[in-house]
Amino acid sequence: MDGIPLIMKYTLPAEELYKPFWEGLKRGEILGTRCKKCGTLYFPPQKDCPKCMASDMEWMDIGKVGEVMTYSIVLQKPQGFENFSDYTIGIVRTEKGIDLMCWVIGTPKVGAKVFLTSDGQRVLCKVRS
Amino acid sequence: MNRKVGIIGVGMSKFGKRNDVTVRELSWEAVKEAFEDSGLTQRDVQLTVIGSTAYRGTEIYPAPPVSEYCDLIGKSPLRVEAACATGSSAIFTAVNTIASGLVDLALVIGVDKMTEVDTATSLAIGGRGGNYYWEFQMYGTTFPTYYALYATRHMALFGTKEEDMALAAVKAHKYASYNEKAHFRNRITVEDVLKSRVISWPIKLLDSSPISDGASAVILASEEKIRELKIDTPIWIRAIGYGSDTSYIAARGEWVGLNAAREAAYMAYKMSGYSPQDVEYATVHDCFTIAEIMAYEDLGFVEKGKGTSLLREGQTEKGGKIAVNLFGGLKAKGHPLGATGVAMAYEITKQLREEAGPVQHSFKKYVALSHNVGGTGHYAFVSIYSR
Repeated sequence: MDGIPLIMKYTLPAEELYKPFWEGLKRGEILGTRCKKCGTLYFPPQKDCPKCMASDMEWMDIGKVGEVMTYSIVLQKPQGFENFSDYTIGIVRTEKGIDLMCWVIGTPKVGAKVFLTSDGQRVLCKVRS
Repeated sequence: MNRKVGIIGVGMSKFGKRNDVTVRELSWEAVKEAFEDSGLTQRDVQLTVIGSTAYRGTEIYPAPPVSEYCDLIGKSPLRVEAACATGSSAIFTAVNTIASGLVDLALVIGVDKMTEVDTATSLAIGGRGGNYYWEFQMYGTTFPTYYALYATRHMALFGTKEEDMALAAVKAHKYASYNEKAHFRNRITVEDVLKSRVISWPIKLLDSSPISDGASAVILASEEKIRELKIDTPIWIRAIGYGSDTSYIAARGEWVGLNAAREAAYMAYKMSGYSPQDVEYATVHDCFTIAEIMAYEDLGFVEKGKGTSLLREGQTEKGGKIAVNLFGGLKAKGHPLGATGVAMAYEITKQLREEAGPVQHSFKKYVALSHNVGGTGHYAFVSIYSR
């Protein structure tokens, strides 16, 4: 017997808070936040610095090049991504020492050098040929 | 711990796709068996802790219907959740309630019905097991992907091969074939694993634990209560260590082992006074084959990067140096998230009591360990038991 469906439609919170990040992505820039008081750099960006208890942050570019630390190619997709082609999720370490998740364009290898870019919605990294 | 706590009754339902029952009847299968095993009844229970992630089933608040069905009304049903380590967090809660002196006897129920939603929905729920905003929303991470990221790095750094990982699956299915409560009871070969459908490369279908329904239950009591009840075969919980790590997997800076598991193991060894060399039997959290290899390393059974050697040499088989997952592991026994950690206590109790039938390990010191990871190392519990 079919159960009663539970349809959930979410509205993402903190749209205003992270607006500079989403605007940065549209320009192809990847921004994190840095605490003005103690200098700690955060990626993903965050509003508060739990290390020194301050909440005075500035937006900062986290770099344009990096290295693939690891990756996986997703063939069995989750609900919400059914219509995407197979995609490769990677973890990249940038020149500034920030580790971030991204989609990999090209054929990756652990240790491969990559350029960071964006499709306006997410961080992409392109394997340098 | 202030007071010694022992396991005095265990029960487990058949794991698998259980469309024949709701979460209530499923829980009762395990609870009834635990009562029969201990010779106790609901009257003896002072506290019930229910471990369930619940979200994939129709009952998203399962504690009231389960406790009602099991005739446990008034026994303070409390629900806890720690993703795939939910069962261990439920045991941790009950053990500490007894150790503190608040109650003398508690029942822990681990239960989840995972098959009431389809696979794509289940993957979307599991994919939220990390950091929703900066992972799932942007990249469509699935749970297998998280472990695949570990597998790829382990392969690149240590030369681990897909064939090595497949050995863990072959072992799991071999032992599940003896376990009538296991989800899968078919034997498989390395070839079968390598040829199976890719889910999130390098993880394939047969590298993965199934989406299962299942329940397990344990009854715990203080040393004084155990003496009063004249129970002569308690299994003592010597230590429960715990650890945790970042929700955003990229921030972990290593990806070849789980910091949370290492921290939990360190704490458990220190608390119990035992070392990895003392452990004769272990249940490890093999939700994916790479997880079993990393577990050997994180628990100190072998040095980092050498986990596959134990599999190749058969050291973790029955009769090996440390027998691991002789009931089939999460991989083949099944992995209903809330039930898994409690089922580990069930398995260890059966082994230490020498009630494991065809898969009975032969003990010298009667020291066993369970390793239960939540998320992809977002939480971990390592528990040490002895007879």
